[in-house]
Amino acid sequence: MDPNLTIVATAVALPFVAAVLSPLLYRVLGERTGYAGAVVAAASFGLLATEVDSHGTVGVSWVPALDVGAQFTVDGWGLLFALLASGIGVLVFVYSAAYMHGEEGLARYYAALLAFMGSILGVALASDLVFVFLFWELTSLCSFVLIGHYTDDDESRYSARMAMVVTVGGGLCLLAGLLMLAVASRGALGGATFDLTAMIANDEAMRAALRDSGLFVPALGLIVVAAAAKSAQVPLHFWLPNAMVAPTPVSAFLHSATMVKVGVYFLGRVRPLLMSPEWVSLVATLGLLTMTVGSLLAVAATDTKELLAYSTASHLGLMVAGFGFDVVYGGEAGAFHLLNHALFKAPLFLVAGIVVHEAGTRDLDDLGGLWRELPVTASITVIAALSMAGIPPFNGFYSKELLFEAAYEVAHEAGGLAWLYPAVATLASVLTVVYSVKFLALFFGERRAPVADVHRPPIALVGPPAVLASAAVVVSVAPQLAVDVIVQGAVDATGTGEAELSVGLPTHFSPPVAMSAVAVVGGFAAYPFRGRLAAGVQRGVDAPIPVRPSGWYDWIVSTTTVTSARFGPAVHNGLLRRYVRWVAAAGSLLALAGFAAAAGPLEIGGIGGIGVPLAVAVVLGVATLAGAAVATASSHVSGVLTLSILGFMLAIFFILASAPDLALTQLVVETLVLLMFLLVLQRLPSFYSEVRPLAIARDAGVSLLVGAMAFVAVLLTIPGPDADPTSVAAYYTEQAVPGGGGTNVVNVILVDFRAFDTLGELLVVATAAIAILVLVTMRTRGEAAVTEAGEEPTPDGGDSP
Amino acid sequence: MRTTARVTVPIVLVVSISLFLQGHNLPGGGFIGGVLTTAAFVLIYVAYDLDYLESGVLGREVEPGTSIFEHRTVTAYRRTLLAGLVVVLGSGVAGILIGDPFLTQGYVHLEGVPIYHEVELASALAFDLGVYLVVVGSLLTIVSVVSSE
Repeated sequence: MDPNLTIVATAVALPFVAAVLSPLLYRVLGERTGYAGAVVAAASFGLLATEVDSHGTVGVSWVPALDVGAQFTVDGWGLLFALLASGIGVLVFVYSAAYMHGEEGLARYYAALLAFMGSILGVALASDLVFVFLFWELTSLCSFVLIGHYTDDDESRYSARMAMVVTVGGGLCLLAGLLMLAVASRGALGGATFDLTAMIANDEAMRAALRDSGLFVPALGLIVVAAAAKSAQVPLHFWLPNAMVAPTPVSAFLHSATMVKVGVYFLGRVRPLLMSPEWVSLVATLGLLTMTVGSLLAVAATDTKELLAYSTASHLGLMVAGFGFDVVYGGEAGAFHLLNHALFKAPLFLVAGIVVHEAGTRDLDDLGGLWRELPVTASITVIAALSMAGIPPFNGFYSKELLFEAAYEVAHEAGGLAWLYPAVATLASVLTVVYSVKFLALFFGERRAPVADVHRPPIALVGPPAVLASAAVVVSVAPQLAVDVIVQGAVDATGTGEAELSVGLPTHFSPPVAMSAVAVVGGFAAYPFRGRLAAGVQRGVDAPIPVRPSGWYDWIVSTTTVTSARFGPAVHNGLLRRYVRWVAAAGSLLALAGFAAAAGPLEIGGIGGIGVPLAVAVVLGVATLAGAAVATASSHVSGVLTLSILGFMLAIFFILASAPDLALTQLVVETLVLLMFLLVLQRLPSFYSEVRPLAIARDAGVSLLVGAMAFVAVLLTIPGPDADPTSVAAYYTEQAVPGGGGTNVVNVILVDFRAFDTLGELLVVATAAIAILVLVTMRTRGEAAVTEAGEEPTPDGGDSP
Repeated sequence: MRTTARVTVPIVLVVSISLFLQGHNLPGGGFIGGVLTTAAFVLIYVAYDLDYLESGVLGREVEPGTSIFEHRTVTAYRRTLLAGLVVVLGSGVAGILIGDPFLTQGYVHLEGVPIYHEVELASALAFDLGVYLVVVGSLLTIVSVVSSE
């Protein structure tokens, strides 16, 4: 059954509409806006739930020439992600209404949260690469706003910027990668397209086209970097723990359940398209590395949300690793763990929020024995934490077992170094058990520090994690049910072949079962040594050598800041001459570089055949002389007059070259310029001051550069003397009289054929006039202000006062 | 200088208008005509001064000391500029009203007009008039504001 475009588009658009309206809603509803957001999320969820049985691509065309369109693909993978986002969205909005009680800036908070949800639905369902990129960057933008929610807090601003730089930088890599895919589709699919579904349908041809053009590895690398930045993979994981300064509902929603999974989601989406040996070695290694590093850092964490953040990175690594393996179990592990992770990690974050809300601290060392005051919260945590640890029969166990099977199978086939895959996966799982138990210890054992009286949390805080934990219980008890409803569709969409996913508790002994046993037993055995482990990790993190990627980030940002602070005054020092120099030199260099890159060896076809008539030669000779005279003129008057000679010579040249309109324009403009010069001349000094030879050499260099650029540009762009007029030129010449009713082709083009261009130019002229008017008004005002402040205005004259 | 300006300015103005009118078939057009008209005005400025147009030509009293931005001639230039934009957009929108795309131009031949016998009337002329007005208005605004500095 084909999906219904109206339903899908409404589900995606609804949160955006609500986001725009949220300031109004906030005015009417106040803090209950959260419940309105929950209604919106529920509506999107309901709309999407009606499409569970459908499969296919629908959309409307937007730019047919490039095959760009607002297209949506509905399949198991997209729906799984979209339903997860909107479903958790409902709970997070309800939770927010209670958690954000009495906070400032709630209208902005809810608007960003709603827009974020719409963007996630867009990423999950968009089939067109342009829209995928658009929604991808929108999620980064919303995340920036939400992390920086406490705008007065330095740490909050720093973290928001860091998340923005990393994820948006990754997004730019994605853009480049997607453009490479679109370029390759021209050869593979017989016409450029941005339709990802069509590319995946012809994955063989796409891979061949990418390899032929040498773009396969760059495209793969760029897409993986983008996904790694978004999904906090090593070494770009450092923004995620910092993002925990955001309000807890945001952490639960964006930074565990949805936004950080966008990278994983997209890797799953392009997995059938890019599956290759390079993919396995890159993605699987990346995933397992992140899994291990993340779990190590989580063991060393001292803050509840920091622990959960590193553990999120670790579990994202698990999913990435799953998608990295080119065996059936790999895709199954990735898809199933996406669901399971959301079901246990989101409630854990919400629990951490409850703890900080009721006990007032996030420090793991100060917390313990909270089950007495928070019994319901404690039971939720037991379910979620054991699921996170991968203890059977909780749901996290099934997907982790699938990863073990995938790793074992790959190692078994490849042998050699590939045995590191299962070994590393087991090690990471041991650590996972350690930090899961560490989190659980919040609620058990003795009180560690005197915590102020702990309140019972309101139902709106406990309800959402309870719902998620019950969902986790359902999946734990009847995993096959979840598989049949949604996960099988996701496995089909991300898999490279046919796969029938069946999960359940193991009934007989096998190597992956042994790995699970080692992980659980080893984890509990290692738990008493967690202090020593944490100290070891801390030593590694504190090492002065650059093992900390956040250190690189700080270095890059501060170096860039310092460099631009130095660069700015060098370019932008208030002297007009300096600006002209920079603009002219940089523009010419860029143009020349562009010609060199695009044109290759110069094709000088136009020059040999032109016999220059005597008259033209004389006129141009005089013009050259005049040009030289301008440069050496000793006073402004002689400079202006020689400049006019140059201009009038050009006008004569236009007449000789039979371009009367150009000649007339040149003549008139030249006259006007001369008159204007006469008008201002009396205000200028009559003679130039002494100039330094260095300045002359520099200016001569810039002039030569500009001249070279103009020369090369003309040489490359003019057609040869014998070339036929282009089809456009021929059309204008033929159509001028019948179509435009005028015999002056130039003017007919100006006012008729290309009237829209002329309109634009007129607007420019008018804008220039208004701008000058404003500038002159403001200038006097600015000088007055500067004089009041007692500062000297920047001198605008420099070498020739 | 003043004598020359006295003689040349009317000629320049007439030439500029004829250039503007013949633009559709011969060299010329709104832009060239506009620039030439501006040149005529600038000539007056160079020969006399900003206030001469009002005091000498129109015979009005010039209030001394008002800022250049409230100057009556500058206001007139600004209005010319706006009028030009309105004419251009209007001639474009007029096409839409009779069902053509934006900025579509047409033309008719009128025959039997006295003296000229046959006159071609192109809607592009209206567009060109707008061009002329915008060029004159904006250039003169710039010149007078800058020169008054």
